[in-house]
Amino acid sequence: MPLVKGVVFGIAGFLLGAGATMLAAGALGRAAPPLEAAISIGYLLGLAGWLLGVGGWDYWARGWFGLPLRVSRVHGRQRYFHFTTDHKVIGVQYLVTFVILFLLAGLFAMLMRVELAAPGQTIMTAGRYTHVMSLHGIIMIAVSVATIIGGLGNFAVPLLIGADDMAFPRLNALSYWLVPPVAVLLVATFFTGGFDTGWTAYPPLSVVNATGQVLFNLAVITFGLSSIVGGLNFLATIVRLRAPGMTWGRLPVFVWSIFAASLISLTATQFLAAALLMVLLDRTAGMAFFAAARGGAPLLYQHVFWFYSHPAVYIMILPAFGIALEVLTHFSRKPLYAYRWVVAGFLGIVALSFLVWAHHLYTSGMPDYLHGPFMATTELISIPTGLVFLSALGTIWMGRLWLRTPMLFALGFLFNFLIGGITGIFNADVPTDLHLQDTYFVVSHFHYTLMGGMIFGLLAGVYYWFPKITGRMYDERLGRLHFWWMFVSYNATFLPMFWLGMFGMNRRIADYPVPLGPVNLFVSIAAFLLGSSFLVFVYNMVWSWARGPQAAGNPWQARTLEWQVPSPPPEGNFPAPPQVTGHPYDYGVPGAVHAVVAVGGAAGQDSGQEDER
Amino acid sequence: MRRHLAATAILWAALTAVGFWAAVRADVLPSAAAREAVIIDDAFRLLMLLGVPVFTFVLAVLLYSLARFRVRGEPQQDGPPLFGRGAVPWIWLLVTSALAVYVIFNPGLRGLAELRAHPTADLVVRVEGSRWLWKFSYPQHGVTAREVVLPVNRRVRFDVTATDVLHSFWIPAFRVKIDAVPGMVTHVLVTPTATGSFEDNFHLRLQCAELCGLGHHLMRSPVRVVEPAEFDAWVAGLTPP
Repeated sequence: MPLVKGVVFGIAGFLLGAGATMLAAGALGRAAPPLEAAISIGYLLGLAGWLLGVGGWDYWARGWFGLPLRVSRVHGRQRYFHFTTDHKVIGVQYLVTFVILFLLAGLFAMLMRVELAAPGQTIMTAGRYTHVMSLHGIIMIAVSVATIIGGLGNFAVPLLIGADDMAFPRLNALSYWLVPPVAVLLVATFFTGGFDTGWTAYPPLSVVNATGQVLFNLAVITFGLSSIVGGLNFLATIVRLRAPGMTWGRLPVFVWSIFAASLISLTATQFLAAALLMVLLDRTAGMAFFAAARGGAPLLYQHVFWFYSHPAVYIMILPAFGIALEVLTHFSRKPLYAYRWVVAGFLGIVALSFLVWAHHLYTSGMPDYLHGPFMATTELISIPTGLVFLSALGTIWMGRLWLRTPMLFALGFLFNFLIGGITGIFNADVPTDLHLQDTYFVVSHFHYTLMGGMIFGLLAGVYYWFPKITGRMYDERLGRLHFWWMFVSYNATFLPMFWLGMFGMNRRIADYPVPLGPVNLFVSIAAFLLGSSFLVFVYNMVWSWARGPQAAGNPWQARTLEWQVPSPPPEGNFPAPPQVTGHPYDYGVPGAVHAVVAVGGAAGQDSGQEDER
Repeated sequence: MRRHLAATAILWAALTAVGFWAAVRADVLPSAAAREAVIIDDAFRLLMLLGVPVFTFVLAVLLYSLARFRVRGEPQQDGPPLFGRGAVPWIWLLVTSALAVYVIFNPGLRGLAELRAHPTADLVVRVEGSRWLWKFSYPQHGVTAREVVLPVNRRVRFDVTATDVLHSFWIPAFRVKIDAVPGMVTHVLVTPTATGSFEDNFHLRLQCAELCGLGHHLMRSPVRVVEPAEFDAWVAGLTPP
């Protein structure tokens, strides 16, 4: 069992590293045991042990020493628990892992709403509340970064471009197997005093708080590594492995969105790791990057942190744009409107995303002269984003709208992200942001972009590709029930939060002034309804995957390549590289052909049992 | 096509009218108690008025499309191939760019200029944040205090700092916010325009707005705005540190 081997190697590595650090400190005559340094160094060796044990040694590292690789062929469900290199298996591993993490962090949100349902302490102490809130934040950030790219991107991108796998299949497996240690570290913060800084980990607080902070920093740095490796892999895949005839001008829009997001993953994530590493060094090595009394600068952190973390919101939302546009065009039976414009919009967003970070710092005490320039760049980013709306509206206009569940979620995405975008202007504008910064207005704004946007986009993609991934069809009536239940309760939860923020409720607080009680109670009730809508989703997914009716190869009559092979696609995807001859979205164009796919890929054929051997 | 466009335009106009009415009626900002609050609220209202037609435009196209272009069951044919290669994207780009540039100047830069128009202060209040309480001193009078009392219609500058971790100075009734950073002194200028106290207006409070750990939510102090004569009496009654 590779999982057991990974855990054993990991624990052995941790004990070795931590023990050696303690012994070295003892030999050097340190009075207090350097607990946090021991954890950090132990973790490094533990991570290496885990990766080698879980498959890195057998599949990869043996080759470095001239030994033959030990690649075991596993089939059926077993594959999902192994170090496999098939992009479709890795996609499912990502998807299931992160949906579970999403539900867990959603439960944390429910706990927060119980606490906030009434003024005063309800079920948690302030310390516990802050820890739960911080965990909710960082897990949801990870979900937003990785679920679409790692899950649906991994599954669909090679298929969409006519490739047989990712460019670096083992690197792909590595980026997934880096994730379990992240989850373990975050859960382990419960046993090390928690961390109370939110997901932003601003020093000096993050330098002086409980040891849980060290675990948080190590977790996020590890996750960043996974993200960088993934970004590199997608760029190489999209640049190098497109099928013959799949020119840049014929690339499906979802692939473009992953390409754009990967540009940011590859080039910006290092800044987050650097910021967190500096905090770690302040704590464990006595450095003073952020200690004002010893010449450090607390504000430095915020600049480095947001230099990644603002572009990161586009890592989260660009793939959701891609899914929404992909679904809108197939379910409107029309070409994607203004295709070249929307690609230019994606790339414009990437470029501008690096120039707006300090809009998170209007009230931080940074020099006043920076306010104007950062306000300007931030407002300008609404122009390329607006092109996404042009494309979406132009695509549905005069279309033949087929309102299946994926389409409902794509339309819901448009509505929610519109509110998220317009309220973003209020945060970008310095005068209004002086009041709104760090209030529930901001909380609501980013939930409208990430949950109302990214999660709705994710769900559109999950329902859209469910038959392709599983070979079975989800229950349409439950899908629609999920959409309407979630859409209504979602808006009922987050619309009133704008008012709460304007009316003086700051964020990240376990308690609030009594006059804000009634609206908070309303928000909490709506939030419970929102949370319960996911019961429908989970039931539908689990039941349909196990018992749902067999899905046809192309149930949506879509034109893109992944639908021209059986559901689920066989290992290696295509019997021979497809020949791409036209644009993927030429609905309504007489005689238009996207690609010629060799035998074995006829639409309507079905081999749902193939992977159950 | 022309008929669809005309119908959507009418729907847009109707939704926009409702939107404007709602934006004006549902003016839910707390009452403004400082000159800065008026500037910021005006900026807020202007952005609301600019945002309404943008919101209703997208909404009108969505609603109209849902009502008119929806197909029951699986579509048997494709829609007309509109590629968006003509003038429409250029017009879209022009309009959205003009809007974006406009809001940079108004309310953005104009509001900023108004907020910074009067940099000299009549009264200086030093504010120091420590976990989890605020301390105040009035250096011109040589006294310290446990609450913020301000004379109405006088320009006040707060010099803000922190001793341990980040905090943030926020008085919702004044709408302004500035972080308290260890090793730095940050500034914010306000002119209170109405008398009042925390007891009858909970927005007159100094609230810590930057997460600072366990007692963050409790880190608030009452703010009282009084007539200048009353302020003089209050400050005279304080003892020097």
